[in-house]
Amino acid sequence: MEPIISIRKLCKQYGEKTVLDNISLDIYPGQIIGYIGPNGAGKSTTVKVLTGVITDYTGTVLVNGKDIKEDILALKQMIGYVPEVAELYDLLTPNEYLHFVGALYNMPDNIIAERSSRILSSFGLLDNLNQRMDGFSKGMRQKVLLTAGILHNPAIVILDEPMSGLDANAVIVVKELMQVLKNEGKTIFYCSHMMDVVEKVSDRIVLIDKGQIIANDTIEALREGSSDSLEKIFAQMTTTENLNQTAGNIASALNDQADKIAL
Amino acid sequence: MNKFFLFLIMLPKGLWRALGADIPQLKAILKVRLMLDDRKPLSFGRQQTKKKPARFMSALSVFLSAVIGMMYIIPLAALDDRIMGLWLYFTTFLLMLSFLLVTDFSTVLFDTRDKSILLPRPINERTLLLSKLLHMFIYLFRIVFPMSLAGWVFVAIENGLVAAIWFPFIVFMLTLVALFLVNGCYLLILNLAKPERFKDIINYFQIGFSVLFFAIVYLMPRAADSTGFKILQHQNYRWAAFTPTYWLAASWTWVEPDKVLSYTKWLSILAIAGPLLLIWLTVRFLSPSFAKKIGGIDVVDAPVQKAIGGASGRKTASKLYLKLANLLNKNPLSKAGFSIAWLQTGRSRNFKMRVYPSFAFVPVYFFYLVTQNKAPLTEIWHTLPETHNNILLLYMSAFIVMNLMSMLVFSDQYKASWLYYSAPIERPGSVMDGAFKAIWVKYYLPIFTVISCFVVAIWGTKSLLDIALALVNITLFAACVMRIAYRRLPFSSVEQMNEKGSRFFKTLFIMIIPSSLGFGHYFVDLVPWLWWLKIVFIGLSAMLLWLVWDSYKNTTWDELKKMDL
Repeated sequence: MEPIISIRKLCKQYGEKTVLDNISLDIYPGQIIGYIGPNGAGKSTTVKVLTGVITDYTGTVLVNGKDIKEDILALKQMIGYVPEVAELYDLLTPNEYLHFVGALYNMPDNIIAERSSRILSSFGLLDNLNQRMDGFSKGMRQKVLLTAGILHNPAIVILDEPMSGLDANAVIVVKELMQVLKNEGKTIFYCSHMMDVVEKVSDRIVLIDKGQIIANDTIEALREGSSDSLEKIFAQMTTTENLNQTAGNIASALNDQADKIAL
Repeated sequence: MNKFFLFLIMLPKGLWRALGADIPQLKAILKVRLMLDDRKPLSFGRQQTKKKPARFMSALSVFLSAVIGMMYIIPLAALDDRIMGLWLYFTTFLLMLSFLLVTDFSTVLFDTRDKSILLPRPINERTLLLSKLLHMFIYLFRIVFPMSLAGWVFVAIENGLVAAIWFPFIVFMLTLVALFLVNGCYLLILNLAKPERFKDIINYFQIGFSVLFFAIVYLMPRAADSTGFKILQHQNYRWAAFTPTYWLAASWTWVEPDKVLSYTKWLSILAIAGPLLLIWLTVRFLSPSFAKKIGGIDVVDAPVQKAIGGASGRKTASKLYLKLANLLNKNPLSKAGFSIAWLQTGRSRNFKMRVYPSFAFVPVYFFYLVTQNKAPLTEIWHTLPETHNNILLLYMSAFIVMNLMSMLVFSDQYKASWLYYSAPIERPGSVMDGAFKAIWVKYYLPIFTVISCFVVAIWGTKSLLDIALALVNITLFAACVMRIAYRRLPFSSVEQMNEKGSRFFKTLFIMIIPSSLGFGHYFVDLVPWLWWLKIVFIGLSAMLLWLVWDSYKNTTWDELKKMDL
């Protein structure tokens, strides 16, 4: 099978700082890729390259066998993106915002209306369809952003911390949604710090640290026969610090003289 | 300055302790509140988003209060009738103070962060209450004292010691009246509007305040010069006796007994009784009911309630912009740009705050210009049709256009524009084209129509050609502004104070455009038989407009990137 996304020797620098250092990665259709790494590892930069926001990188990125630099519009049409920070024009209502987004993807009005009301209704937001979003909670905004991300029925869905702010039921819905989309043959690129969710839903896990991919395998292979959780594997691979010791240091900072005197 | 205030307010420590306050906590809370005051944007004039964090704002606010206080004394100095002068002084003072408090107090009163930051801590209720009251006191003092300073000095010099002692007392009474008005005003808003719209309504007060501020600064000195103003006498304005500020003015009878009309002397009692009664009403009735309502303000931060049948709401209002979007744009991207600009500008408080006051600029500044020769108003009015001021008035709307267009690219929510970059947009110019049309149709066209109606009413139908030429010229100007200085996607940039030098020169350069177009028009208007030149100009400007607009709406991603460099 041909990979739907094929990245070769991808490098990106911001001034002196190398953010992505020779990344090569193949992603196959119908897979959920868990893309994890510590803060500042280069996850967001990878996502920006894949969504066509950053174009001044070196290396090649092929989507569906075509270099994305050659036809960036076709790439953008294929990709649905839900950003990490819930930035949207919150003076608009979900209805108005989704019509705006749909228009940018060249969708006819009736399809936008039909799809947005059906998706929002599944998220339990139908009653808020015509209310301005400035009073919305973080979870409600996230649901609107999720809807906006998949509205144009993209072949590849890039989700950057899609669960942030969602309540427990909505988390279940999104997890299920990822499975359903996967079964329809869509590819899901899922970035998150929630290790337990990544562990459960991902077909492959790609771990990036300091701009380089340091692991790319299934969770079973990463465990190497042990019963370690992804959280533990992540810690072993990305830090040399003893995290238990760190927590101990924080707690012991409180046991100083002043407290004893007060007691 | 804050350290000084904090020191002063903490002097009667024993008293605060006796009232049940925890002194270190009280001091800490007040210190932070004063520090926050220093860093929040100024209520005077425009709000600006700047790179540099705001500092020393309270000192600047004290200074500006003192300056505006100087404006109030103009009627006091110009009028022969002292009571009329005082009445005008107190009325302006009260009006400005109330507006300022309505807009500014809301941030102090409705700071719901208290709930999450202070309430979970071990602070007793008295400390909390006292910290709130003392903060309000410092806050009021910082505005009222500098604002009344000029008036105080003036009456002290003019009327001596008695007046100097009497004056601060009356200003104190005036502050009580202002507190009543502000409380009443808040209560009215809270009763009439939904809590979540409260901030929007306060926004309109801010707009009203900046128009008032602007009008006072421009028109007060001008009014003082006019002959009609000097001879205003309180005998001719008997209705004034019903206003609280007249009662305050009537108490002048204790300083100069012969200045006040005998039949209004008893009103001086109301100067004390009135404000006291009003503040009693405030404390007894308004504040408790107000405190109850304030709870509702928190709704703004809480998740919104589900609206029953909400899906069908707002349909009628939304139809117009959709119809216009379809009518005026062929490209779906332009339609999207049109819709977002239409909706966003109608709801953004910052946009309204920056743009709406400029609508008032045209009439105020026009009045200011035509009254320059100090002739009586009736004479100016009658000779107006003989002047060429219609051209001036029409071109003054270029100021509104400049303001409107620049605010189209700036937004507090500029980060939400990530969407444009991830969507398959071939030419960003298409979106920009739609947004430009929306703002032109929604704001500029109605205003220009109002101005045109006024021009036709005064100067007659012979002005129609001028109106057409001015409209084409100003639209050309708007297109040039957008093409040269603001070639960006709508609501995609953050406004910065320290604009690059190149932007400054660009702005300067484009300011030459309306001036030269306007002057050309004006000179042609001076020579009646050259009327046909106006038609030639309309044709030429329209051609230029087409060229500039075409280049603007075909803006590519590369060209957009160059703007950011």
